[in-house]
Amino acid sequence: MSTDSASAGPGSASGVGSVSLDSVRAIAKKDFQDSIRSWLFLFLSAFFLSILVLPTVLLWYLGGDVPTAEATTQGLVGTVHNVTRLVIPVIALVLGWKAIAGERESGSLKVMLSLPHSRTDVLVGKFLGRSAVLSLSLFVGFFFAAFVVALAFGGFDLTDYVGLFAVSVLYGLAYTSIAIALSSLARSTTVAGALAFGVFVLFYVVWETMLVAVDTLVQLDYLPGVEYTVTGPGGESIALERPHDVAFLFHSFDPGVAYRNVLSFVTSIAEQNPQVVRSMENAFGGSVPFYLQDWFSVVVLLFWIVVPLAVAIYRFQRVDL
Amino acid sequence: MPAITVDGLTKSFGGTLALRDLSFEVREGEVFGFLGPNGAGKSTTINVLLDFVRPTAGSAAVLGMDAQAHSREIRSRTGVLPEGYRVYERLTGRQHLEFAIDSKGVDDDPDRLLERVDIADAADRKAGGYSKGMAQRLMLAMALVGEPDLLILDEPSTGLDPNGAREMREIVRAENDRGATVFFSSHSMEQVEAVADRVGILRDGEMVAVDSVAGLRDSLEDGTTLRVTVDRIDDDALNAVRALEDVSNAAVESGDRNEAEPTLVVSVDGSKTAVLGELEDRGIEVRDFSTQEASLEDVFQSYTTGSEVEAR
Repeated sequence: MSTDSASAGPGSASGVGSVSLDSVRAIAKKDFQDSIRSWLFLFLSAFFLSILVLPTVLLWYLGGDVPTAEATTQGLVGTVHNVTRLVIPVIALVLGWKAIAGERESGSLKVMLSLPHSRTDVLVGKFLGRSAVLSLSLFVGFFFAAFVVALAFGGFDLTDYVGLFAVSVLYGLAYTSIAIALSSLARSTTVAGALAFGVFVLFYVVWETMLVAVDTLVQLDYLPGVEYTVTGPGGESIALERPHDVAFLFHSFDPGVAYRNVLSFVTSIAEQNPQVVRSMENAFGGSVPFYLQDWFSVVVLLFWIVVPLAVAIYRFQRVDL
Repeated sequence: MPAITVDGLTKSFGGTLALRDLSFEVREGEVFGFLGPNGAGKSTTINVLLDFVRPTAGSAAVLGMDAQAHSREIRSRTGVLPEGYRVYERLTGRQHLEFAIDSKGVDDDPDRLLERVDIADAADRKAGGYSKGMAQRLMLAMALVGEPDLLILDEPSTGLDPNGAREMREIVRAENDRGATVFFSSHSMEQVEAVADRVGILRDGEMVAVDSVAGLRDSLEDGTTLRVTVDRIDDDALNAVRALEDVSNAAVESGDRNEAEPTLVVSVDGSKTAVLGELEDRGIEVRDFSTQEASLEDVFQSYTTGSEVEAR
């Protein structure tokens, strides 16, 4: 607790935009202590444990023959990611939507900013504090579930399992960044809550269906598309139409889509079956553009971690509290 | 070097002017009482000093540094008791102090600070269960972390019983003896006169008087307050009364000059009949009048009530 005079001290840098590591650490620690109710942490950990353990038991029960550890871990990752793709955004938004707006509304932000912290320190510290709550509960859930998985499958594929955990943490960081950003843009918790809910609906429900919707409109000739030809099974040429590249680019920026793609990149779950890959290659004239390749999804997740926070930092420095 | 310099500070929120061209100085080592009714702009001024809000025009400097450009440095040498705060409900008193100590990069003892503000026995309880007075004491303890050069206390007596307010004043004096400059706001002269070296009186975003407590007291050594009930009043008559030699201040009570029988509050240092004569010369009928020995509270009242203090 006690830092002696040898430490740089937060007084060395000044201004609203500067970042002091000591400040960020102090705020993250405080926020972690303050936001974590022991029951919430236990609940989240138990929840993550159960969404891993239930499919495990199910796979083990339905498996019949002695399953290979590799195949079952794959099956587990394939099942679990459908759940985590939905619940991680919900949990991150619920943990984060009040982070700044709540303190601003109640006035405890004044307590924090009476101390020598910059506003950037507050945002970064809050982001780290809330991220720690989410990541640690994920870790606890995954850690204890590992024993059950190992017991049921007689061993498991560590790469896939750790991959699912690591990518889930990244995904959680992205939504925490979004939640903190929204919370800092809103003047009241009511607005912050509405924004968080709006983002969830927009990202989770609307975004993913956009490509399908655009594709449908293209097929019905309501929207111009890109025409291409494929060779049919009998050697004949078939003319097809697909949505414009922009629609695919847009689609690849959906954090949920990126989460799934990164998973198929780092784990061995084969999300895309080879036939789909081939037809995609045809649609784009031989090679799939970079933004539809799996590695680009890592960039997308990093984008969602960095950009919302950066926008929030820029805006938050300029407002009256 | 002054501890605080406010220069031509103007702040508007939307269309409302909270501060208009406010200028004053707080000298190093003094206890400065920043007095004004609620809504006068005291908290806005403090918020500018702490860079919570940005000035529309003008500037503020604290400890010789620009309040905006060097906010972090200022706050690392300043202890603040904010107004309208909320404690962190799930953190204990000790955790609050540890946060402040961590934040300032010092190695104070949380228990000693909690003892100083008399809540050592609640150190390990969550602050969500504290009373208003205890929360106020906790905030004061946080402000004292790191022996700051400047203390900015916004309405420090809020929520304190008379005994707590006395302890607060004792701490302010002790900090001042240590060498700290203290800048504190209040809406009550009573809190200020007991501890402040100088007082600034703020009204509607303007500083209407700055003087030492002794100076204010001197100004009403033999002064009396004359209350005159009249049938009507207008600006000319009010200004004429103010222009009288023995009158230091005059205002319409409660700010409503359109009342059926407005009451004039006049601080006089000599002849009261001159005031009554002036009014009657102007055809204003004096319905009733009374006099009372002036107190500092009256000075404050006369500065802060009434529709206009300084004719413009």
